[in-house]
Amino acid sequence: MILATSVKLALRNTTRRRTRTLLTAGMVVLGVALLLLALSWVGGIFQSILSTATALGGHVRVVQPKFAEREELSPLYENISNVAPLEAALRALPGVAGVEPRITTGVTVSRGDQIGDVFGLVVGASERYFRERTGAKEKLISGAWFSGEPNEAILGSKVAAEVGAKVGDELILVGMTQDGSMSPIKVKLAAIAQMGVGGLDQQIFVPLSLVQYLVDIEGGATELLVYGEEYERADLLVRQLRAAPLLKDYTVQSWSEREPWRSLSGTVNGMQSVIVAVIVFLTALGIWNTMMMSVLERTHEIGVLRAMGLSRWGTVRLFVGEALAIAILGGLLGVALAAYPAWLLETRGITIGARTAASTSLMISETMRGDLNWTVVGTSFCLGLLMALLGSLVPALRAASIQPVAAMRGGR
Amino acid sequence: MSRYTFAWILSCICALTLNGANRVEAEATAPPTAEALIAAMDKNLTFEARKSHTVMTVSGHRDRTYEMISYGRGEEDAAMEYVAPARDKGTRMLKLGDELWIYMPNVDRVQKISGHMLRQGMMGSDLSYEDMMASRQMRKQYNAKVTGEQVVDGHACWTLELLAKNESVTYPKRVTAVDKQTFIPLKQDLYALSGMLLKTWTMADVKEFAGGRKFPTRMTVQDHVKKQSVTKVEFKSIEFGVEFPREVFSLRWLERK
Repeated sequence: MILATSVKLALRNTTRRRTRTLLTAGMVVLGVALLLLALSWVGGIFQSILSTATALGGHVRVVQPKFAEREELSPLYENISNVAPLEAALRALPGVAGVEPRITTGVTVSRGDQIGDVFGLVVGASERYFRERTGAKEKLISGAWFSGEPNEAILGSKVAAEVGAKVGDELILVGMTQDGSMSPIKVKLAAIAQMGVGGLDQQIFVPLSLVQYLVDIEGGATELLVYGEEYERADLLVRQLRAAPLLKDYTVQSWSEREPWRSLSGTVNGMQSVIVAVIVFLTALGIWNTMMMSVLERTHEIGVLRAMGLSRWGTVRLFVGEALAIAILGGLLGVALAAYPAWLLETRGITIGARTAASTSLMISETMRGDLNWTVVGTSFCLGLLMALLGSLVPALRAASIQPVAAMRGGR
Repeated sequence: MSRYTFAWILSCICALTLNGANRVEAEATAPPTAEALIAAMDKNLTFEARKSHTVMTVSGHRDRTYEMISYGRGEEDAAMEYVAPARDKGTRMLKLGDELWIYMPNVDRVQKISGHMLRQGMMGSDLSYEDMMASRQMRKQYNAKVTGEQVVDGHACWTLELLAKNESVTYPKRVTAVDKQTFIPLKQDLYALSGMLLKTWTMADVKEFAGGRKFPTRMTVQDHVKKQSVTKVEFKSIEFGVEFPREVFSLRWLERK
């Protein structure tokens, strides 16, 4: 009964001083709208990076323990020597949607008689991996997809431009065997792909068998990339794979346990927290200001209410309720205001250009898109309520501390 | 002659005899000058022309054996052709001065290597291209001093410390055990400028060749930076002062079919 009265009073108060209500609501609208845009934008970019990274690097990866320890040195000798039986066994496990053996190694790329010094990263994998996981087939700017010949290669647009290679050219890739001997292979340029993602345009896609020869790992691979249904559920998959006896001698890692994603995940969470904290703090400060003004203006009224029996707690409830009522209205308006720009960010994105994207070490796409979803909408709206709660709490406590007699006598 | 006179003469003879013996022994153990030692080493290890059939075994993460025919001319020029294993058969290397070219038969191309790349492991071994293909005179590169004696594989050796005369020398410091009999460096510790031990190089099975030249027919090199790797080199045959076609030291030889 008391609560209903408080709510009724709080709602009535919101309409009594419309300018102040509009001011408070405006701040909530702005805060919620900014939060919605910022959270969907940061989340969208990070999700896009992760989606690309996990497609390329697997939801879970199986490697030799020493390969994982010294990965930055690319220790080719720490390989899985006979990869086919393990690949087949992994494919048969429940929850495993795909398995791809892969070798990556640095090479110099040259065309013509002179061996040049253009650097590229050779990726040796199956045609299926290149088609399904990298999406390169949809990104060809010249030439045709792998025809099945063993010595074909598809070049990223950046490395192709540096070498001056055209489709049909014969290229020499000089790398190292797993023992450190110089090792060359000859490939025919089947196509050039513009991947539009940082780093990928410097890569060279070559059939696994040819790269196995290049690095002298016959029938082997340095990594086995395992895919589940969704990368977000990689933690479940990794637990299942670690329990499998056939993988007891290997290091099994989900994408979130590997660098740079492990660190990046913390950075993104930190970034989001800072954005949220700044917006919530500034909006709460504004609400605090208008609510405090309201308390000062209504001192006499508060005194009367207190004299009529309104408790301190009831007074707090009155002011917080008033702020929350405004926040609900402001939150809804804020969501409505930001929904369209956030939708545009998701559907159209912002194009930063292929060159900028390629210059980053992260797998950032040249079009950066937001991600508008119900979680972001709900979070922004709830944070709007939090702003109101935080902003109104101190004025409400101030109102609750007013002595009825003094307030009625002095008007303060 | 009195009894005392006879005793005095006898003691003098004994004293002279003992003194003489001591001097001979002292002469035998007195260290030769560092310059003499380094010159003797150079005389054995450098040459005008050399042809050899070499087997190199690299033991690391897995063992590999390479077989090659090599030619050396003076201190800087060398040519080498791999005859085994099948993967590397036909690979040729040519070093002229500070430049090195490698012919790769499976792609029919020549790759040029120079500068610091010459110090990288040849075929992933513990020996760099420079170690294997240069035969420079030590006395031109190092200042030496004899610091003591040691025994290496039962051979009495002088310990020689070599410090580079200039910064361009690959190994700024060497501590070498030079065999007193053959003047071959049976063991060498090769150091970086920082004092870090880079490689240990041992030589064994010293044989005598024409002109009294002594030369080791087996070597072992361990690169301490690489870890878990040892390279053994065995000379199956070696000839000094041989004549070989001049075209061996040309790019044409490198790319010949």
